[in-house]
Amino acid sequence: MPGPITIFSAKKIITMDPAVEEATHVAVRDGIILELGTLEECAVWGPYTLDDRFGDSILVPGLIESHAHLLDGLLWAKAEYVGPIDRRDPSGKLHEALKSVPALVKRLKEIEATISDSKTPLIGWGVDPSLNDLVDPITRHDLDQVSKTRPIFLLHASCHLAYVNSATLELANYAAIKAPGVLRDTSGAPTGELQEMAAMMAAIKAVASDLVGASTDTAQFFNFAKVAQARGATTIVDGGGSTYFEPAFLQAALAATGSPDFPVRIVAHNNGITVPKVEDMIAAATSLKDKGNDKLTFQGIKILVDGSNQGFTGRLRAPGYLRTGANGLWNRAPEELTRIVSAMHAAGMQIVAHCNADQASEVFIEAVAAAQAEKPRADHRHFIVHGQLLDEAQLRRMAALGISATLFSNHMYYWGDFHRAHTFGAFRAAAMNPAATALRLGVIVSAHSDTPVSPVDPLLTMWAAVNRVTTTGRVQGPKERVSAYEGLRMMTYNAAWLLHRDHEIGSLRVGKRADFTVLGSDPLTVEPMAIKDVPVLATILGGRVFSVAG
Amino acid sequence: MNIPVSVIGGYLGAGKTTLLNRLLADPQGVRLAVVVNDFGSVNIDAALIANREGETISLTNGCVCCSIGDNLALALHDLAERPNGPEHIVIEASGVADPARIADYAASHPRLFLDGIIVVADAETVRTRVHDKYVGDLVRSQLETADLVVLSKVDLIDAAAFRQVRAWIAAEMPGARIVAAPRAGQVADLLLSGATGYAALSRPRADGEHARQFATWSFVHRQMLDGDALRTAVAALPPAVVRAKGIVRLVEAPERRFVLQLVGRRWSLEPEPVGTQDALASDPSVIVCIGLADQLEPEGLDALFASTPVAALPGAVRDLLQGEATT
Ligand SMILES: [Zn+2]
Repeated sequence: MPGPITIFSAKKIITMDPAVEEATHVAVRDGIILELGTLEECAVWGPYTLDDRFGDSILVPGLIESHAHLLDGLLWAKAEYVGPIDRRDPSGKLHEALKSVPALVKRLKEIEATISDSKTPLIGWGVDPSLNDLVDPITRHDLDQVSKTRPIFLLHASCHLAYVNSATLELANYAAIKAPGVLRDTSGAPTGELQEMAAMMAAIKAVASDLVGASTDTAQFFNFAKVAQARGATTIVDGGGSTYFEPAFLQAALAATGSPDFPVRIVAHNNGITVPKVEDMIAAATSLKDKGNDKLTFQGIKILVDGSNQGFTGRLRAPGYLRTGANGLWNRAPEELTRIVSAMHAAGMQIVAHCNADQASEVFIEAVAAAQAEKPRADHRHFIVHGQLLDEAQLRRMAALGISATLFSNHMYYWGDFHRAHTFGAFRAAAMNPAATALRLGVIVSAHSDTPVSPVDPLLTMWAAVNRVTTTGRVQGPKERVSAYEGLRMMTYNAAWLLHRDHEIGSLRVGKRADFTVLGSDPLTVEPMAIKDVPVLATILGGRVFSVAG
Repeated sequence: MNIPVSVIGGYLGAGKTTLLNRLLADPQGVRLAVVVNDFGSVNIDAALIANREGETISLTNGCVCCSIGDNLALALHDLAERPNGPEHIVIEASGVADPARIADYAASHPRLFLDGIIVVADAETVRTRVHDKYVGDLVRSQLETADLVVLSKVDLIDAAAFRQVRAWIAAEMPGARIVAAPRAGQVADLLLSGATGYAALSRPRADGEHARQFATWSFVHRQMLDGDALRTAVAALPPAVVRAKGIVRLVEAPERRFVLQLVGRRWSLEPEPVGTQDALASDPSVIVCIGLADQLEPEGLDALFASTPVAALPGAVRDLLQGEATT
C-alpha cells in the first residue's frame, strides 16, 4: 500500500538532470521522487498534501560531502572547539575563529569558568593560531593563565601536536619523558608543546583518554551528521579508519543511524588503513556489504598512500618540497601497494586511495594500470582522494584507466598561501586541485572538506572550486576555476557517481530518492564569491524535512 | 626496572621477520615483547604458542608478541605498565617507516628507553634499491639512522660480494656498524643489550659460523677507571666493533658499579640500578668488545683503553681524583 503524497513547491528546483533541468514542484511518496514539474504535472498522481513552506526557496539535489571523517563527531563530543576557523557545532552554535594566542586564552578562560568540578580536564581541539602566518608557539605559561590546577590539553588542528599546561605536565610526569617531541626551554623544562604521538601519549592517557581507542559513543555519529546537515549535506562519507568490522562499533553505528531522527545518509568506506592485510580488508568489506541500513551503507575500501602536504609528508615527484627538496612519507611501500591494488581490483572491490602529492598519485595510477592489464574491469570507479598535484599527464592516464578523484578544493582557500610560501612555491600552488582540467579531460571529480581537517560545508567547498581564492584574497590558478554549474555538479552528481550511488541520489529525477537541500538563493546565479554565503534553510531526506538551527 | 626498547627497521622484504623469528625462537632467557604490524607475517612456530588473546600472543618461553593495532604508543604504554611485564621490547618498524621516528616512541613513557636502532638490509639488493625512484631516499635514510646495520640473505652471495656491499655501506655512511645477520641463539646477544652480570660477560661463544664473523677482545682491570677517559675511548671505538658490554668501577662513584652497553653506534654508561648490591673493592672492571673478525685490531683497542685506568694518569691528578672520590 503506497504512502501519502506530499508535493513541495519551490521558487526553483534545480535538478542537475541533463534532460529536465528545472521544475517548480516535486511530488514525493515513500521517500522517492514521484514527479517533478509544475503543480499540475505533479497532481496527476492523485490526492496530495501541498507543502509550500519552501515556496520562496531554491531546491537542489541533496549536497554530498565526498570525503570526511567521523572523528569530527567524536571531537565535538569530547572536546571544545577552539580553532582559527569559524565553525558551527552540532547544535548550530557558531564558534568564532580564534586567530591569536590572547584570543585563545580569553576563550579558554570563559570555558574554564563553566566547568564546575575542579579536577575535570579542559580538552580543546582544532587549535592552530599560525594557520597561515607564523606566530609565537603556545606555551604552558599561556595555558597556566587559564588554570594552574585544572589539567588542560589542546589538540592541534593537524592532530599531530598538542599544547598542555603545567598541571597536565605534572600529572603525566613529563619530567621523566625524554621523547624529543616534548619541547623544552633553555632550562630543560617542557614548554608545554608536544609534537607527534610519541610525545603526546602520556598526556592523552592522563587527561584525554576518550580521544584514543575506538569509541562506541553514539553521540559521535549524531554530531558528525548534524554539523554536516546544518550546512546542507544529505549524504556524507566516513572516509576510512573507522572499525565497522568490530561488532560493538557496528552496533553503535546502526543504533544511531537507525533512528528516524538521524539527519543524513552515511556512506562509509571499508577500512584498509588500520587493517594490515588485504585479504582481511576484502573479507571485512564483503561481510559488511549488506549489514547497513537506509542511512548507513558501506562502499569501497580506503587505503592511504602518503601523508599530508601541509605536514610535509605527502610524496612528491622531483624537485620535492620548496627549497629543501625533501620528500614525504609512504604509508605503504609502493610494491606492497601494487599487490594490494591488484588483489582488490581482482576481487571486484572499489579502491579509494588517499594520494596527497603527485608521486603518490603516480604509484596508485600505475598500480591500477597493472591491475587493469591483469584483469580488465569496466566501471570499477576506483578514485583518488585529495589528488592535489595531479597534472595533465596523470589526468589523461586516469581518464584512460577509469580512475576519478575527489579533490581537496578547500585547501586552496585555507592553505593556498601557505603552499605558495612554504611547500610548493608559486607554480605548483597555482596548479593545485585542477578541477577544470580534470572535467575537460573526462575525469569525473568531486571535492571535499576532509573534516575535521577543514570544516564540512559543501557550499564552501563548491565556492572554493569556483573561485580558487586564498584567505588573503589571491586567486591562484584562475584557469582551473570551474563554473558554478560544474561546482554544484561536483558536490552532487559527481560525488554520487564516485560512491556508486548516482542511480539513487546526486540529481533529481523521477524514481530517485527525495533528498534535497533547501537554499535561500540560487547558487548558480549569485555572484560567485557569494556562493558560500547562500543560506541553507533546511534539508529534506527521503521526503522528511530536517530544519537547520539558527 | 626500566625497559630497553630496540627498533628493528628496514625496507619491505629486507629480512626483519626472519630476524624476529630467530629472536623469538631463542631469546636467551630474556622475557621479550615483540611488537609487530601484523601477526600473520611473523609465523611463530605453533609449538611455541601458549595462548592467544586479542592483540597478544603468549609464547611458552615467556615472550609475548603483540600487534601494534592503530596506535604504537598505546601498545607500548600498555606493555610498560603490565605487572610482570617484559624485560626488553623489540618493535618491528614497518617497511616504509623512518626507524628514528619509531625510536622516539621508546621515550614516550618514563619506564622505557631506547636500546638501539637495528636496520636490516638485503645484501643482494640494497645497492640497487637506494637508486629506486620511489623508495631510494627512504632506504638510504633508514640505513643512515641505524645504530647497527644487519645484512640479510648473505648466503645468497659469495664472500667477495659480501665484502663489497659492506665496504659500500661503510663508504656511503661513514661510521656505520655492519654485521651479517646472526643465527638463532645469537640474535639477542648480538643485537640487544641484555643482562650484564659478570657471568654474562664470560658466556662462551663457540659456534663456528659465529667465530668466523666475529672476534672478541676483552679488558680486565683491577684499578678503578677514569670515567671521562673511558667515555672518550668508547666514543672513539672503530666501526669494526659492533657490540660491547662491560661492568666497570669509576673513580667518580666508587660505591657503585657501572654498566657499559654498546649496540652499534649507540652506547651508554650508567650506574647499576638502585637496589643492586654495593660494589666490592675486589670487583674488577671488565669490558668485552665483539667485532668483525676480519677488521678488529686488538692492538688498537689496547691502545685506546690504555689511558682509562686511573693508574695510567699522571700521579698528582690520580691522587687528587682518588682523594676526592673517597671523601
Ligand atoms: Zn581523509
